[in-house]
Amino acid sequence: MSYLVNLLASGLAVGAVYGLIAMSFAIIYKSTGLLNFAQGEMAMITAYVAWSISTSVDGNPFIVAAGSILFAIVFALAVERIAIRPMMNEPILSQIMVTIGLSVIFRSLVILVWDGLPHGMGIPAGDALVTLGDVRVRVAQIGVILFLFAAIVAMWAFFRYSRFGVAMRAVASDDGTAQLMGVNSGKVQMAAWGAAAVLSGVAGVLFAIGAELSPSLYALGLKAFPATILGGLDAIIGSAVGGLVVGITENLVGGYLSSGLKEVAGFVIIILILMIRPYGLFGEKRIERL
Amino acid sequence: MKLMNALAALTLLTAPGALYAADQGVTDNEILLGEVEPLTGPPALLGVAHNLGVRLALAEVNANGGIGGRQVKLVAEDDGYVTSRTIQSVRKLVGVDKVFALTALSGSGQALAAMPVVKGIGIPAMVPIGPLPPLYEPPNNNIFVVGQSYTEGMRQLALYLAKTYPGKKWGVILQDDDYGKSLATGLAEAGKEAQIDVVYETKYARGQKDFASEMLRVKDAGVEVLIAGGIISENIAMVKEAEKLGIDPVIATFWPGRVPEVLKAIGPASDGIYSVDYVVPLQSEAGKAFLELASKYLTEDEVKRVNRYTMTGYSSTVALLDAMKNCAEDLTWACTIEKMQNDAAVDTGVMSPIKFGPDNRFSNSKVTVMRADYDTLSYVPVD
Repeated sequence: MSYLVNLLASGLAVGAVYGLIAMSFAIIYKSTGLLNFAQGEMAMITAYVAWSISTSVDGNPFIVAAGSILFAIVFALAVERIAIRPMMNEPILSQIMVTIGLSVIFRSLVILVWDGLPHGMGIPAGDALVTLGDVRVRVAQIGVILFLFAAIVAMWAFFRYSRFGVAMRAVASDDGTAQLMGVNSGKVQMAAWGAAAVLSGVAGVLFAIGAELSPSLYALGLKAFPATILGGLDAIIGSAVGGLVVGITENLVGGYLSSGLKEVAGFVIIILILMIRPYGLFGEKRIERL
Repeated sequence: MKLMNALAALTLLTAPGALYAADQGVTDNEILLGEVEPLTGPPALLGVAHNLGVRLALAEVNANGGIGGRQVKLVAEDDGYVTSRTIQSVRKLVGVDKVFALTALSGSGQALAAMPVVKGIGIPAMVPIGPLPPLYEPPNNNIFVVGQSYTEGMRQLALYLAKTYPGKKWGVILQDDDYGKSLATGLAEAGKEAQIDVVYETKYARGQKDFASEMLRVKDAGVEVLIAGGIISENIAMVKEAEKLGIDPVIATFWPGRVPEVLKAIGPASDGIYSVDYVVPLQSEAGKAFLELASKYLTEDEVKRVNRYTMTGYSSTVALLDAMKNCAEDLTWACTIEKMQNDAAVDTGVMSPIKFGPDNRFSNSKVTVMRADYDTLSYVPVD
């Protein structure tokens, strides 16, 4: 029983990381109709900035958290304003290509600004071990799970009750009509990019605390994107669930079957679910009038 | 006209060796060398450090008057560890830059892919990163491999552990590629010479970042000696998971990740980890002397990036330069290759002397088992 509980706990922790990044994909898609393929790289850069802050403040977790969240927002707004906004009325494929280009640039930027070496985040409070019954976890792992659930509640409330959240949904549904109704689509896009960067950035930082910081951290985005598809591209909370499903499935398969199957297990689940629900577990079926 | 020029350039880049001169890259004042390595992306950890080693060897030879009075320069091409770019870069270096010799062909997979092209051209080429047997068995006239095979390194590491920790339960976690296969072969060979009781063995997909389930199985199987067969990030994740689960098996890793930053990233749990390598630890006397040499020719920031790959890059390039020096009056590919195979062993102090032969293009360097010391972020030889 202890073995199963430990597998579930590990799956939940890594699934929460996937879930937060998956939510980032979905927020931008839901608000702007764009897929940001540089999301994993943006999480990585935020983690590197957090590391730089951490080494300057002796790993004070509060300063690192405040500094990295602030950076994530400023960074995302800069990317949106400089690279994405000018492409706003261009074909969606061109916009996606811009995000792919950004992802390559960001990966190289890490080597140019920092290095290619692995690093510990140097945040002892996050790296500390906690025993909960039969399970031993790091504080950062508890942190990422709690943050995911807080983000789910916050996103649900935001899109359901706030005027700005409704405006974001309107822009995603029909950009032109939303603008005619007085919605500032530029502001909506900025807000979406900012929120997405914070969620993925926090995921990147917390994962790096428990594991390590290196230029391969961007690969988390590659694992999170299928989770978004699983949950539904336009389903922010569904994407979070998708991340948890992928994380837990990987760990159960790795624990009971084989490591070789671990990496493909999540994708097998995704294919099966998409065959039944092509728009994802929680995605909305789009009906187009002819 | 433009079309004709483009066709001519294309021909130059795709043609076999016939179009290349055996003494290209050599002028009255200068000799041009080239190399391909990953300078961006995660593998830059090895590419950048290797490049420093090559530059160090060139700076040293240039400070001592160069080769036959000629200064030696380097053109480094970044392949990002992408095989197609390695081949493209080799063609560019030889066909466009007209380098005289190649000091690296990137990693093992990249070197393997580029091997037919390099062999066809006939240019002297060194392979100091990822010495896989297909690169030197059978020997290729112009390709010289420096180091030791993963298989032999694993065999010796496993034999040492089997002797030091007899009767223990072993766990083996390997990558599902050629690197993992080489380690598995080395372990199997060691198993013929000593009793190795493997109770848990698994392969993971390259790029995997979460090793929670694997380490839970290690704990469940009661593993006492664990071969952590990852490259860098994977081993960090495995050791940190072991720490998290409160288990303390004897853990052995391999030379690709034997850099101080790995110990630092793992933290105190890295203390006592075993490794094996064919270059000396930086904190050894020979290592300190190497760092002193590096301080003389590299910037302060560059010296901070020195690691084992700097030593392999340096040693391999010194061997090449030594052969070139002995051909200074007749600096051609044929002479350089002939000197490489017949000259006396080259001792750089940071690895066993490098020696090739008429039917041998592999230095077959001696390996040493070592153990991590977290307090000094270094490794100490144990055998």
